[in-house]
Amino acid sequence: MATRPLGVEVPGAPVALHRPGAWTVLARFCRKKPLGAVGGFLMLVILFTAVFADQLATYDPIATDAGQSLARPGPEHWLGADHLGRDIYSRIVHGARVSLIVGLASTLLGSVLGGVIGLLSGYIGGHTDLVTQRVMDILQGLPLLVLALVMSAALGPSIPNVVIAISIPIIPRAARVIRASVLSIREMQYVEAARALGLRHLRIAFRHILPNTIGPFIVLCTAQLGSAILVEAALSFLGLGIPEPYPSWGRMLSVSAAEYAQKAPWLVLFPGLAISLAVFGSNLLGDALRDTLDPRLRGG
Amino acid sequence: MKAYIAQRLGIGLLTLLGMSVVIFVLLRLAPGDIVDILFSTGGYVNPVERQAIERELGLDRPVWVQYVEWLRQIVTGDLGKSYRYDLPAWEIIRPLIPVTLELAALSLVVAVALGVPLGVISAVRQDTALDYALRVFSLAGLSMPSFWLGMVIILTLVAWFGWIPPVTYVSPSQNLWLHVVQFSLPALAVGYRSSALIMRITRSSLLEVMREDYIRTARAKGQSGRVVIWRHALKNAILPVVTVIGIEFAFLIGGLVVTETVFNLPGLARFLVEAILWRDYPIVQNLVMFIAIVVIVSNLVVDMLYGFLDPRVRYGH
Amino acid sequence: MTRSRIMVLAVIIGVSAFVAIGARGALAQTPKYGGHLNLMQREDLSQGFAIHETSTIATSFPSMPCFNNLVVFDQTKRAESVDNLVGELAEKWSWQDNYRNLVFLLRKDVKWHDGQPFTSKDVKFTFDMVREAPDAAGKLRINPRKDWYSNVEAIETPDPHTVVFRLKRPQPGLLVMLASGYSPIYAAHVNPATYRTGCVGTGPFKLKEWRKGEFVDYVKNPDYFVKGRPYLDSLRYVVIKERGTRTAALQAGQLDVSFPGETTKTAAEQLKKAVPGLVITPVAQAVSDNVIMNTKKPPFDNPKIRLAVAYAIDRKALIAAVHQGGAVPGASQQPRPYGVWGLLDRDLATLPGYGKPEDMKARARKLLAEAGVTPQNPLKVEMATRAIAMYVDLASFVINELKQVGIEATLKQVETAQWHPMATRGEYQIGANLTGLGVDEPDANYYENYACGSPRNYSQYCDEQVQKMIEAQSQELNPQKRLAMVSALQKKVEEDAARPVLDWRLDYFTVWPYVKNLVPHDNIYNFGRMADVWRDK
Repeated sequence: MATRPLGVEVPGAPVALHRPGAWTVLARFCRKKPLGAVGGFLMLVILFTAVFADQLATYDPIATDAGQSLARPGPEHWLGADHLGRDIYSRIVHGARVSLIVGLASTLLGSVLGGVIGLLSGYIGGHTDLVTQRVMDILQGLPLLVLALVMSAALGPSIPNVVIAISIPIIPRAARVIRASVLSIREMQYVEAARALGLRHLRIAFRHILPNTIGPFIVLCTAQLGSAILVEAALSFLGLGIPEPYPSWGRMLSVSAAEYAQKAPWLVLFPGLAISLAVFGSNLLGDALRDTLDPRLRGG
Repeated sequence: MKAYIAQRLGIGLLTLLGMSVVIFVLLRLAPGDIVDILFSTGGYVNPVERQAIERELGLDRPVWVQYVEWLRQIVTGDLGKSYRYDLPAWEIIRPLIPVTLELAALSLVVAVALGVPLGVISAVRQDTALDYALRVFSLAGLSMPSFWLGMVIILTLVAWFGWIPPVTYVSPSQNLWLHVVQFSLPALAVGYRSSALIMRITRSSLLEVMREDYIRTARAKGQSGRVVIWRHALKNAILPVVTVIGIEFAFLIGGLVVTETVFNLPGLARFLVEAILWRDYPIVQNLVMFIAIVVIVSNLVVDMLYGFLDPRVRYGH
Repeated sequence: MTRSRIMVLAVIIGVSAFVAIGARGALAQTPKYGGHLNLMQREDLSQGFAIHETSTIATSFPSMPCFNNLVVFDQTKRAESVDNLVGELAEKWSWQDNYRNLVFLLRKDVKWHDGQPFTSKDVKFTFDMVREAPDAAGKLRINPRKDWYSNVEAIETPDPHTVVFRLKRPQPGLLVMLASGYSPIYAAHVNPATYRTGCVGTGPFKLKEWRKGEFVDYVKNPDYFVKGRPYLDSLRYVVIKERGTRTAALQAGQLDVSFPGETTKTAAEQLKKAVPGLVITPVAQAVSDNVIMNTKKPPFDNPKIRLAVAYAIDRKALIAAVHQGGAVPGASQQPRPYGVWGLLDRDLATLPGYGKPEDMKARARKLLAEAGVTPQNPLKVEMATRAIAMYVDLASFVINELKQVGIEATLKQVETAQWHPMATRGEYQIGANLTGLGVDEPDANYYENYACGSPRNYSQYCDEQVQKMIEAQSQELNPQKRLAMVSALQKKVEEDAARPVLDWRLDYFTVWPYVKNLVPHDNIYNFGRMADVWRDK
């Protein structure tokens, strides 16, 4: 029996309802959303760089070499060297690991926590919802960077602390998106049916509603990943982010970069480009995913 | 209508109260306080002197007493004294407000002036090369760290022209032209970022509206394309844009923090970072509350504007 | 005209021309009056103008124009020594009773900025307050230099223009400590706390405005006691925290003077390339990079391990790597020619860490082996440092060096607020540190950093012999003998390796060419009075 993609009806021929394979979906996505494909590709490159940083780097990212101070980009140092003679390319490659880990970890932490809060708040409704909403308002009222700043100062410089600091402002935003999604699904018939059948609430919430929020959740994650990376960069720039010795793109831009920038503009150029490309990729991908997965959210 | 405003204000007040607790607690979680910083500028530590200073600043009282005292001060309009500068906090904060407000306003103007037209063009020429180019351009703005953009601007200026915008604040009354020059670059840097979001919202909401029936009807009636767009579509597409502008205002503060630092503008955002580093509790607490109030009020204004512009949303909530 | 008349005329013309040219030459050196200068200020003042309550140049440099000392180091000469002392508020001074009493005869024509006359009462008030005399009229909230005056028994004021410092025992170094930028005179009729927000001084400039976080404005003091000074009309110290922005501002001419200690060698080269006319003067800062080790806790209570650390760090490589050549090697006193007490090169070469790098590292490994540290059993420690780029760069290099001899150190960044409490309480193992010396005087250095029980003796180092040596050199009146004692002291503390000194930083002080007569010293804390500075444009 010939199989046809969902939705295509050939009159007279029985249609096998067959879910399209993963590659087909991917190919279709790339064709329909070329920008999203570019974004996805960029993210894959960065992911690859992060995972294989040790193999891709040409030098030890924290090893100094006085003789190579501010070396120009060339065969020895592909992207040049900083004032301590550290290879910029290797630091950027390892920085990908740091930025990605921090970005992903904080995004996931914030989104999952916020998502659960939004899910329960939206499903239970009533007073619980009202109170939770106000608490979320409180957290959201403080601008992202300010909250992350205070948290970072409160917790001190270390990778787990920076992850927590950046994840906190994400929680209310995630909660809001998931809650909106839950509210619209809650009234649907199959949920009513489940309730009529007497299924316990928690089971309904997690078995039936949750899977349908995956779409908005993915969109949310990719959108927040970009801002998480940017917030981490800003925190490192202000001196409150990832501490040494981990190379951080944001910290590569603080202090010495600006001071020596006229003699060695590559100090400022390449880390900034790295940050921009990472965020750019995640934004492109996020946009395309949003268009595909949840057209209702297209309005913003 | 009045009930609605009252309800919103009431909720806003509760939210502010909650925020005050959060910021109060968070600050005191941070290791070290002003006394530690004062001693660090002295280069040593002395427990006896430390106790004396704590007593002088009121830091030796129980935490909840300090919190109540702070609330009491706010209610009576007293913003307390800066720990670092030993002066009334309001006296120090007051000259900073116009700088940040002006920068924020200018940035929003840039954002709207850049974002809305680009969004319209992009929507009208949907899926063409121009559309893609514009979307990439605006997305680039959203992706660049704003402090990086500022840094690159300053370094390029000094390297190519041997000139940078004034590093000391020039007020409009002192020298209007220099003042404009001083603010235009940072406004552009921050505004470019915000314009991206506004452009995207404008584009997508315009696209949705253009599919609406009444547009098609207008077209069928023979009205020219451009008129249709500007008269009908845009009017309704503005609604989400207005909402976003309100949200963006809060989002702006983050960009302002680094931009004020890089361009050396004496604004609230830059001062806030300093105050956090110095554990100057009165300044940080009051500044954060001030920002929160601005955000809440702007959200309220936006919602009311939304209600005013879209009669469907006016009553009930 | 007759020939003789022509001759006379020619001579007259010739001589006039000669005189005119000569005069013009002299005029080019004659200071001009008037003008304004913008100086760099790297961060906002910490405690306003309360120099006695801080130990940071962020307060002392911008406060210098407001104050006067009893004596200062000549502001027009670079070297700081007892031979370069000039009187400010003191006209004459002399040691009496074998360096037990220090008598100052004060000027009679000095007024405070608020019009009150300056008298000996102000001097007594200031130093009684700093030494925390039991009957002191004033009190400091924070008092970092109390120990500088611990040897003062009493301060007497026999008449309004004479002050006598009575010491418990002879201390020739006291005079030099009074010349430091950290020893200004406060007004007795003013609450000391007011210096945190304003400044009532006797100095060449009056404070006009301190706009917090932005700038400090000064105007000329028309009643300054040195007639004909200052030359400038006004000063502005512009606060720019962002490093790239302030370097750009200096380059673009919005700032005329750099901040002491802020211009590295590489930055100076960059500035010079962009603006060839800039005047760059390399000077020493009196700031040293050093390693502090907790001598009361393992593993650094073991002197062998400490000594291994001192051997492991290649000083030359550090200077090249961390400072790109902008530093000089030295022991605990600033090396010559920048300081007068520095060890001779041949003595320095014998200290741990100054020989051939491979030999030094081999010695280090041997010492570690004796202490039970081998490649199979490496020593794992935590190196603390302040979360500031200067410190972190230094620490990273040191960690790298230690790795090569078998000590594996992880870096822990400590925020400013917690650094001193942590170090004072000994809650660390090893740390990378910077120490600024307020004045090139062994008393100030050793009592602060090496004496038993001193709060800034972060290593908690306490050696009876060293204590005796410190006391002995402090009382030694013969300069040659004292120099020998201080040399011996430097060698001893390096061999005990409680706080090995790595190098002394240089500053590439930069000014625009029209800034005249602003002479940086080999110490960032003791210049900047600005009275003799003038502007040639």
